[in-house]
Amino acid sequence: MSVARATLHRTWTMTRRAYPWSYAVGCLLIGVFTLGLSYLGLHAIGGGSVAEDFTARTGGADYLGYVAIGAAGYMFTVRMLLWSSKALITEQRQGTLGALLIAPAGRLPYLLGFTGFALLNTAVEVGLLGGFAAALGVTLPAWHPLAALAGLLALTAAVFAVAVVLGALMIVAGEAHISQNTVFLAVSLLCGITFPNSYLPAPARWLAELLPVTSAMDVLRGALGRGQPLTELTARLVTCLALSLGYLLVGLWLLPGAERRAIERSF
Amino acid sequence: MIRTRALRKTFRTREKGLFGPRAVKTAVDGLDLEIPAGRVTGLLGLNGAGKTSTIKILATLLRPTSGTVTLDGLDLVEHAREARRRINLIAGGERMVYGKLTGAENLRYFGHLYDVPGAVLRPRIGELLELVGLTGAADTPVERYSRGMTQRLSIARGLINDPAYLLLDEPTLGLDAPIARDLRRVVAGLAAEGRGVLLTSHYLTEVEELCEHVYVISDGRHLAAGSPAELKAETGSHRSVRVTVTNPSPELESAVVDFALRLGVRAELGAAEQGGLLVTVRHPEDVAGPLAGAIVAAGGAIGGLEVTEASLEDAVLALTGSTASPAGGRSAVSA
Repeated sequence: MSVARATLHRTWTMTRRAYPWSYAVGCLLIGVFTLGLSYLGLHAIGGGSVAEDFTARTGGADYLGYVAIGAAGYMFTVRMLLWSSKALITEQRQGTLGALLIAPAGRLPYLLGFTGFALLNTAVEVGLLGGFAAALGVTLPAWHPLAALAGLLALTAAVFAVAVVLGALMIVAGEAHISQNTVFLAVSLLCGITFPNSYLPAPARWLAELLPVTSAMDVLRGALGRGQPLTELTARLVTCLALSLGYLLVGLWLLPGAERRAIERSF
Repeated sequence: MIRTRALRKTFRTREKGLFGPRAVKTAVDGLDLEIPAGRVTGLLGLNGAGKTSTIKILATLLRPTSGTVTLDGLDLVEHAREARRRINLIAGGERMVYGKLTGAENLRYFGHLYDVPGAVLRPRIGELLELVGLTGAADTPVERYSRGMTQRLSIARGLINDPAYLLLDEPTLGLDAPIARDLRRVVAGLAAEGRGVLLTSHYLTEVEELCEHVYVISDGRHLAAGSPAELKAETGSHRSVRVTVTNPSPELESAVVDFALRLGVRAELGAAEQGGLLVTVRHPEDVAGPLAGAIVAAGGAIGGLEVTEASLEDAVLALTGSTASPAGGRSAVSA
């Protein structure tokens, strides 16, 4: 794990030197706006109450609690994906990809180190968002700590696995914006971030089931919103971990070819 | 020893735009190379000859389309990870170090990537920084380094795993003359320690100074191989006689052309820097006397005469069928 630890430390040092502290404010804004706009919508348009079918679909009437969990999950997903999936294309852009690829270190520990850094960074940001939600009066009516921890780990695994695939596609395509924003859009629309995905048409729901973030979000919502124990969430947890493993294997299978394509493209 | 047999590399490209017809470009075409330990081996050719592709295959960055590459008997494709422990690459045209890290932090990180034990890594970082003259800048972020300092750090990075074989692709590109000279001393020292070094360089005097054996390639194919002296003898590219004539005339130019034709070579006529006509004749023998005689016999007054010994540049130009660059300038040949 020396490579993972060294990569985490290196990335932490570089990021601390590259970005001013005010950069973190910009990163927080996605979650703050999502939560703030939902608060305004609920009180200014909905009169402080939600429709009956929302209660029926989610098992509760706490819309802000629902959005807060979704916003935190979305921010976690976006920030983690941004850091982890862009690891290799960032190396390519700063001229260090060749030096990395000729070293004998495996790609998995390198990516795990990068994701470890992303996890630390994102945990701080999501924690601050939690503080903002608390200031708006959002509370978790019932939550199960062990299941919540399992949900968080599942979401981390899901995002890491998707990031490996996305990272491979990015270095083949030589671009990050279109690919990353496509994934962000899909996650925000399909994975039950601000509304239950049972509102979606059937084909979109099937598509949502192919993204491990959807089942990870279900586990998190069950644990944080309804206080469900781990035993009641096992099926969704297993679905998430199985999908994540699949994505990870596909990503690691794609990476060597993608790296060679990236080097060849520079000729 | 690094050994290639019938090494071939092709790239698929689009001839035009995103959806244009596909084309296959051959970068390396059946190369057989041997890079033994304890020697600096040169790889020369014109731009686009396939040198960088070859070096990137040897560094495991590219996979050959066909043919084999072995490192001390180990197949470089099948055992890439093991091979990477024993080789390293320094490319002058690429940065290969992190701008936001200091010199020492860069070396520490790459040391971890090469799994160098901590007890070995710590003193090695100090030694390498001293070797490339960056001890005083060890704790300065690389983004504040000059180009030469960054290049020197890149050289230290290339030595962090104590490689048995070192691949140098234009290592002195953009370096000031004293720093390039120091680097040449370092490279010669590395070979003397028993490492195998493959060098491509834009500066052929550098190759001539360092390399015991040189391969010349063109369009990815082998053209010639041998020591610089053997290549010069083989190509018959030889002494250059340059005569400045202060009173040029059409009759004199005609006489010089006839003289060269009788020797079976071509005379190059151009304007001399200080005025007058500059006559250049390249020939295996020293033809300074007969040429001067012919010019004087045609009524010419000689303002200057210079005889230059054959260079590796002349040999490579002759081998690749290219034309010479202006005298004294850096060659049109790149390695």
